[in-house]
Amino acid sequence: MPGQKPSSLLISAATFILLELAALLLLRSSSTLQNIWMNRASHRTMAFLWGSGETVRSQFQMDELNRSLQAENALLQERLRAYEALDMDREELARMAARNAANYRYTPATVVKMSRNRTHNYIILNKGSDDGIHPQSGIISDLGVVGVVQAVDKHYSYGLTLMNPQMSIGARIGGSELVAPLTWDGRHSGRALLSNLPPHFNVAPGDTVRTSGFSSIFPPDIPIGVTGGSRLVDGSTRQVDVELFQDFSRLRYVTVVENRDRAAIMALEAEGEVTR
Amino acid sequence: MRSPALKFILLFVAQTALWNYFNFTPYVFIVFLPAMLLCLPAERGTVRVMILAFILGLIADFLVNGQMGLTSLALVPVAAFRRRVIRIVFGQEFFIRDEALSFHRQGWVKFLWAILLLTGIYLIVYIPVDCAGMYSSGFRTLKFLLSLLASSAVSMAAAFLLLEESDERWK
Repeated sequence: MPGQKPSSLLISAATFILLELAALLLLRSSSTLQNIWMNRASHRTMAFLWGSGETVRSQFQMDELNRSLQAENALLQERLRAYEALDMDREELARMAARNAANYRYTPATVVKMSRNRTHNYIILNKGSDDGIHPQSGIISDLGVVGVVQAVDKHYSYGLTLMNPQMSIGARIGGSELVAPLTWDGRHSGRALLSNLPPHFNVAPGDTVRTSGFSSIFPPDIPIGVTGGSRLVDGSTRQVDVELFQDFSRLRYVTVVENRDRAAIMALEAEGEVTR
Repeated sequence: MRSPALKFILLFVAQTALWNYFNFTPYVFIVFLPAMLLCLPAERGTVRVMILAFILGLIADFLVNGQMGLTSLALVPVAAFRRRVIRIVFGQEFFIRDEALSFHRQGWVKFLWAILLLTGIYLIVYIPVDCAGMYSSGFRTLKFLLSLLASSAVSMAAAFLLLEESDERWK
């Protein structure tokens, strides 16, 4: 640069390289080391600073939320009555299902902070390790899958929502046995993509997409959304649009689900990796 | 408001609040941190501005983004090219005359060019890293263009606020 000494140019260049390398290293580690103190402090600060915004936001949606809770309450009462009317055989079956679901622990939580229109969206909940929340627990709502807990503080937990490219969920279409990874389409808050389906697989629009239950995070058969159009990708796999049931802009209350057997499953998986 | 430092801090707070509350669409990303760096005194050395940019980026990521290092990665090149952009847009004589940056003195068109260049540098780094492995190049290009337009408009207002006093000096 004219008028600039070579030594100062050298110092500028060295500082530039040093700072860019430092930024790259930080960026590289921030996505994997969610539990390092800096990230936990960041999540706590974000929850403290911006949490009130979500409260204000929710106040404006209170009427709708009440209506939704009333509808859910009515649905639950209806189900309860249906269960009460079951005969013994059916009850036995129902209890078997209940035992299966009992592998999961459910903890209600409130959204403290949530991003919606970024490339990498996240969620902060008001429950943490003191409330028994552990990393790699699922986050669901009455309308479907929300995300996965990545890191926990004493009083807060931080998770990635389905609207994050790092999130992928094993999903099943309708009554089929076929399981495919479901990821966010990256553009719309209410749309995701089911990928890697066989090209000959015919998908009828309007089929319900549910969790497969093959992961140790989510229980099986949690509704996620309905199928839309589909297309061939590179002539070898089929990709299906999924309209999500969950409207992320109206999310306030969620449930954290934790597979009680997750530690045992992970240990088995690790053992399998070693012996392979 | 008389203190430029206080104005700088308040605008930085405004930037973090904007990132936190106003995310209307994934197609547009509004940033005026490059304009804030442009409005720092022109004689301030590149190394000092780069370190300031790195720290500002870290604070912004700590408070809002949750992806530590992303804003710093994009903001440090802005600081590195800041004096070069000033030289290209405002002319060599700007440094010889030891002028201060002012909308009144240099004119808003030149400011717009400087802001477009610096915001462009920021977005050229930020968007590909943020969208890595996720979006098509068409989406990235569209996001870059829309973000550049929106950010430059907001940056002009931010720069105008920061340079109010130096404007009065030239009247």
